[in-house]
Amino acid sequence: MTSFLQATSYGLLQGGLLAMIAIGFSLVWGVMNVINLSHGAYVLLGAYIAWELHAAWGLDPLLGAVAAGLVMFGAGYAVQRSLINQVVNAPIFLTLLLTFGLQLVLVQGMAVVFSADYRSIATWYASESLPIGDVRVPSGRLLAFGVAILATVVLVTFMRRTRTGLAILATGMDRNAARLMGINARHAYALTAGIAAALAGAAGALVGLVGTFSPPDAARFTLLSFVISVLGGLGNMYGALLGGLVLGVVQAWAGQYLPGTWVNAVAFAVLVAVLIVRPSGLAGRAFYEARVEAT
Amino acid sequence: MRSRAPRILVAGAVLALVLAGCGSKGTQNPTSTGDTVNLGASMSLSGSLEKEGKLTQQGYDYCVSTVNAKGGIPVGGRSLRLHIDYQDDQSQPDTAGQLVDQFNDKGYKLILGPYGSATTGAAMAVVERNGQVMVDSSGADDTLFNRGYRRTFAVLSPASVYAASIVDAVNELATPKPRSIVFLSADDGFSKTVAAAGEARAKSLGLTVLPGQQFPAGATDVSSALTRIKSGKPEVIVGSVHLAEGIAIIKQAAELAVTPTGGFAETVAPPTPDFVTTLGTKANGVLSSSQWVPEVKGSDALFGTATDYRNGFRTQFGQDPEYHNAEATAACLAMVLAVRNAGSTDPGKVRDALARLDEQSFFGALKFNDRGENVTKSMSVVQIQNGKLVTVWPADQAAGRLIWPGTNG
Repeated sequence: MTSFLQATSYGLLQGGLLAMIAIGFSLVWGVMNVINLSHGAYVLLGAYIAWELHAAWGLDPLLGAVAAGLVMFGAGYAVQRSLINQVVNAPIFLTLLLTFGLQLVLVQGMAVVFSADYRSIATWYASESLPIGDVRVPSGRLLAFGVAILATVVLVTFMRRTRTGLAILATGMDRNAARLMGINARHAYALTAGIAAALAGAAGALVGLVGTFSPPDAARFTLLSFVISVLGGLGNMYGALLGGLVLGVVQAWAGQYLPGTWVNAVAFAVLVAVLIVRPSGLAGRAFYEARVEAT
Repeated sequence: MRSRAPRILVAGAVLALVLAGCGSKGTQNPTSTGDTVNLGASMSLSGSLEKEGKLTQQGYDYCVSTVNAKGGIPVGGRSLRLHIDYQDDQSQPDTAGQLVDQFNDKGYKLILGPYGSATTGAAMAVVERNGQVMVDSSGADDTLFNRGYRRTFAVLSPASVYAASIVDAVNELATPKPRSIVFLSADDGFSKTVAAAGEARAKSLGLTVLPGQQFPAGATDVSSALTRIKSGKPEVIVGSVHLAEGIAIIKQAAELAVTPTGGFAETVAPPTPDFVTTLGTKANGVLSSSQWVPEVKGSDALFGTATDYRNGFRTQFGQDPEYHNAEATAACLAMVLAVRNAGSTDPGKVRDALARLDEQSFFGALKFNDRGENVTKSMSVVQIQNGKLVTVWPADQAAGRLIWPGTNG
């Protein structure tokens, strides 16, 4: 029983971090119908920003996450406004190509600037754990989990309770109608990309807090984001959170009760099973699924 | 009137293809051009093994600069300069095989190995088919050498020695002697071979070997494997891993309070500088086996002793070499010695010279059995003490005493 509780708690915490990584990816996909293959590179850029701030001024990575989020907001906004907006109306294949190319440039750029060294942001608390009975709850991952939940709630509140958020959602539902209502679609898209990049950057800082990173990890983060977005479903702000938590727990249980090398196979089997039963994902809305198919 | 431009473009494209075709399949011979010996190397310059690939490239580059600074390779009364052409295989075995094939198309017959067993395995098959010759610097999986290939020679000790050396060292030096041990392994061929040989060695020494655990190669989350072994209370935990998994084991063991009473040991990861920089004091006490340490006996005319090698490398790169660097330089050295002994860059003659090679070097003995493995060289065991690698085994190389339990390191 202890090992079950240990695996479940660890899986939940891991899932929270995965959700934080994926939520921006899901947002961009849902609003713009753009599958941003450079998302993993944004996560890593955030990790490097937090790492540099920690190395230079000893800034705690939780504060570094805020700084990384702010910098990445600007970067995401600028990239969307200057680059991706140029092809956002084109077939999805073109945006895939563009963002894939962007990912290659960013990953190679990071390898040149930061080298391929593995890095981690060392803090006194990240590897400590809180004992609850025989179960250990890692402090760093618990903090990262808390930040992920908070970020999701703040994002949902922003999107549903502010004029800007509603404008973004409206643009995602029907761009032409939104423009007729006076919404600047280009600005709304760029804001969306900025928010997504900010969340990715903050998630990168948390990755640096609890794990290690190096430039080649970008592809893994993008793949995880894709899986979580599909699993959780598009069109619901809590979809990525749910998808991340499910993926984290499934991986933890698979690792606990099956041969360890089956972890990825089981995770993808769950994804396939969910899509058979609910093609729009666990919490997705059919409108978004239909729109992707129609494109 | 229709434009003639498309026809001209098509004709030009066809002509270009024909000309390109004429130049392929080894009609050039750049293995030796003028006064230069050109070697080809497919390398992990990006992808999941980029770090290790660049360490290997550094080792090759140091060989080139040293050989050329000492007048080049004497061949048939002339001194030939050494040059290596690199291509990025993105850490993908299939790509490594394709690149070695492309080297052959361009006439490169002498090849230095890529990084890792999987890429080396892919390259070996191509080398054999094309009549090229390869010196392998890092592909240690024993199963690579069960295929009957005769044109690849590995300078490093095989995978079966990695964990077995650690088990031997612990059994010989640790007080109190541990009674139980468990192996955590990545699921790639090399790591599984290492773990299986380590388990066999531990059993033969009378240790209780607890059920081992595997996880996907490159995994950054090994928490499930650690949770599963925790209740067995193993006294020694051995990770048969590469860098990413090796760091994850130590980090997550701390999170989950998995603390063996003896200590941790891992293959491959601890000698890599990132292991200490990433883990800080948590790296202290971890044991590892190493293909090369500065205390290795033996020397050669190009690089001198192991200490000379360390000093020279430090001068060029501003950092101490670790074993990935050294094994790469040793592979390059073996190729250079074979070309010198053959008096030719002809791949058949170089292959025969490699098969006959029997030299001492800064890396230890360079001598191959009929499978192409360097079985005369032993491995060393190192422990991280105060953030530094200290050689603790075998006795004739030891620079310090084993700290045991390692978890007190």
